[in-house]
Amino acid sequence: MKSLVCLKQVPDTETQIKVKPDGTGIVTDGIKYVINPYDEFSVEEALRLKEKFKAGEVVILTVGPDRCTEAIRTALAMGADRGIHVNDESLNDADPYSIAQVLAAAASQEGYDLIFCGHRAIDDDFGEVGAMLAELLQLPQVTLVTKLEIADDTQSAVVERDVEGGKEVIEVPLPCVLTSQKGLNEPRYASLPGIMKAKKKKIDKKTAADLGITSERKLAPTEYTMPPERKAGKKYEDMEPAEAAKIVVEALRSEAKVI
Amino acid sequence: MSREFVHERDLRFLLHEVHDLGSLTAYPYFEDHDRETFDLVLNTALKMARDRLFTTFRDMDQNPPCFVDGAVRVHPMVADFMKECGDGGWISATAPYDLGGQQLPRLLISACVFVFAAANYSASVYPMLTSGAARLIESFGSEDLKRSYIPNMFEGKWQGTMALTEPQAGSSLADITTQAQETGHGYFLIKGQKIFISASDHDGVENVINLMLARIKGAPAGVKGISLFVVPKKRVREDGSLVPNDLHIAGLYHKLGYRGAPIAQLSMGENDDCRGFLVGKPHMGLQYMFQMMNETRLEVGLGAAAIASAAYHAAVRYCKERTQGRRLAAKQAGSPPVPIIEHADVKRMLLFQRAIVEGSLSLGLQCCKYSDLSKTAPESDALKFQLLLELLTPAAKTFPSEMGILSVSQGLQCLGGYGYCDEFPLEQYYRDVRIHPIHEGTTGIHGIDLLGRKVVMKDGQALDLFRRELEDAIKTAEYYPELKPYAERLDKSLERLLEVTESLIPLKHSGRTELFLADATLYLEFFGLVAIAWQWLLQGTACDKMLKTNPPQTEFNFYQGKLYTMRYFFHYELPKTEALAKRLTEADGLTTEMHVDWL
Ligand SMILES: Cc1cc2nc3c(=O)[nH]c(=O)nc-3n(C[C@H](O)[C@H](O)[C@H](O)COP(=O)(O)OP(=O)(O)OC[C@H]3O[C@@H](n4cnc5c(N)ncnc54)[C@H](O)[C@@H]3O)c2cc1C
Repeated sequence: MKSLVCLKQVPDTETQIKVKPDGTGIVTDGIKYVINPYDEFSVEEALRLKEKFKAGEVVILTVGPDRCTEAIRTALAMGADRGIHVNDESLNDADPYSIAQVLAAAASQEGYDLIFCGHRAIDDDFGEVGAMLAELLQLPQVTLVTKLEIADDTQSAVVERDVEGGKEVIEVPLPCVLTSQKGLNEPRYASLPGIMKAKKKKIDKKTAADLGITSERKLAPTEYTMPPERKAGKKYEDMEPAEAAKIVVEALRSEAKVI
Repeated sequence: MSREFVHERDLRFLLHEVHDLGSLTAYPYFEDHDRETFDLVLNTALKMARDRLFTTFRDMDQNPPCFVDGAVRVHPMVADFMKECGDGGWISATAPYDLGGQQLPRLLISACVFVFAAANYSASVYPMLTSGAARLIESFGSEDLKRSYIPNMFEGKWQGTMALTEPQAGSSLADITTQAQETGHGYFLIKGQKIFISASDHDGVENVINLMLARIKGAPAGVKGISLFVVPKKRVREDGSLVPNDLHIAGLYHKLGYRGAPIAQLSMGENDDCRGFLVGKPHMGLQYMFQMMNETRLEVGLGAAAIASAAYHAAVRYCKERTQGRRLAAKQAGSPPVPIIEHADVKRMLLFQRAIVEGSLSLGLQCCKYSDLSKTAPESDALKFQLLLELLTPAAKTFPSEMGILSVSQGLQCLGGYGYCDEFPLEQYYRDVRIHPIHEGTTGIHGIDLLGRKVVMKDGQALDLFRRELEDAIKTAEYYPELKPYAERLDKSLERLLEVTESLIPLKHSGRTELFLADATLYLEFFGLVAIAWQWLLQGTACDKMLKTNPPQTEFNFYQGKLYTMRYFFHYELPKTEALAKRLTEADGLTTEMHVDWL
């Protein structure tokens, strides 16, 4: 079972994000970066498949600047076999379409049985890359995966996915693209022996040119702003419930204008 | 609850910019490592601490260990965490490759233990004890003992303990009475009682391996008759199966804090069938045990700093959110209240905590680096580092332990009435941190150890090495105009420390030992203040160096915060040495002469 895991490095959820004064992006100084949590589920699932079938390979595929090496190395320390790092100035701040193009080109050079993406990245929250990648590669895709069973003949998989209020079970032929959702598994931590081994594992560095593509972005951000600060609430105290209800309804109608 | 419990940037600052972790890779034992490895290790520790340890911090306090049908049940996270630490290689991290370790520097692994302890002190203790006990077998045990016990301990399947204390022998280990009788069959029969033994029974592991002090029948009295034994809860039969070893849990103690870890009373040999396996040579036990005690003492110091760190972060966060009162200069009536962090006195409380936490952490890491160097540097240097380590251990254990209590208390104070209530974690930190001046040698015992032994050993050679380390730091700091006044202050207090020492030593030589050591605890306090000031000057120097490189805004802010904290320590804490010097040179025998009936 050869899995390609598309992995993005994102700001840590604990990081306080600030927008640059000119609104062209966020302030990156002082940010701590981590593996996108949904991509950790992907790494874990790919490792479990390799362990289960006692054969195959887990390859980490990442697009991003130099700092992303750390994220790839962490996945290698968890147990992945090698990495491909597409590091190209022209791809900094790329939109989902350009990223999908790059991933598709890199995947085509590699070969695979399965491609994992996170169902979204927690920084820009687009949630589009997996779908675009599947389309570019002409592969079936299942999104929001919470359970995966590969058939013994490795020709197909039975997949559970989240739907509103329940689960949907789908059978899908391989190869395919799966996007991982919380609940799929509990990712392991890198082990210290794993960290030592990871040093010796290979990370192939590639540029857009190596993949024979020029980035065609479809989206360009115009401005970044912080959400407005929440206004202080209002308290209605010391009154009978019936009276309070009347006043609150009135306030919702005339002041807040929500009803 | 605030999610932050350590200052990550500060950890990296201390490891790399102050203590130069990378320099250790010049030694063959550490040569396979580099910055990338170190970062991955620390990041993994931070992640485990955040996801696994911090999330159970409170629950472990509310659901402490219980004693059911003669066995101890602990929080279910203990089994998971021990497994994680075993599988992840944390218990064996510093051990050599051939024992399954990763040969990582203690400097780095202790920083990780600090992170674990800050997230959940109780949980952090289980693997730490196991690691220390396994290393004791590694250092002094026979090949057979190593083969039989170390692998399962390193894998986190078996818990390790240190079993020293008895009802009549706490501080004075010379008085232990647990007996060991030679059988001629490769084992001794152990009989006796031990109390307060941490993690000595629980259901998070399949076996417990006690590293126990006992007296072989007919051994000389006092410390020269103490031997070290491996006394498992269940012994291993030839076929590998485990059978009970006549070691019983007589009961659990109910503690003020640090409630996630049990301390139990052990009763050995009720049926004359408790087997113990001698470690090393007979009668050398206490000397061997000192390896583990000294390691654990540094970890206790770091643990105290860690709890104070978590308390500090909870306090800062609260102070930024809580509004109350107005700036003293604000004239306008009815102006909105300000966040309490704007009040000078609240800032003072926060600076105090930070000065204690980051000063203590730095001293602990400094000692860990000496420990690494004492094992890897060429022989003549190694001895120097060993002496420095021995001298500094009492301070690296005691300063954080004693000051950590005051630090957490100030954290609690920042929250006012809320700090006293259990909606906020401060009351738990306050209870948890109180253990540290007690276990691993009380503060009183460390005072006596420092002044009565360490300072005078080898004709004062260790103290002289310490003086030289400080003088080097002072000389370097003097290059920076902003630091010069602080270098001078450290120089003055060092001079004062040496003067006080010189005034006390004649008491020893003239045989007035009681008077010599009567205020040894105050001497230790004095010594600790000077040692921490030294660590702050080193930190200040590293900051000034970086500020000259025009760092980006967040870095600039970090270094400024550090420098203010350094200044705080020199202006508010170090002057306490003046009063201590006054008292220590009086030598009037007030406490030695005070009649016990008058108390
Ligand atoms: C939570 C916890 C965990 C522990 N874990 C372990 C463990 O894992 N293994 C283990 O073996 N023990 C453990 N202990 C025991 C601990 O190490 C002892 O409690 C400690 O060494 C003090 O001994 P004691 O309680 O008998 O006090 P004492 O020795 O009776 O001391 C009482 C007071 O008298 C002072 N004092 C005693 N002798 C002198 C002296 N000669 N000069 C001046 N002052 C003196 C002490 O400083 C102290 O203030 C633990 C204790 C606790 C509370």
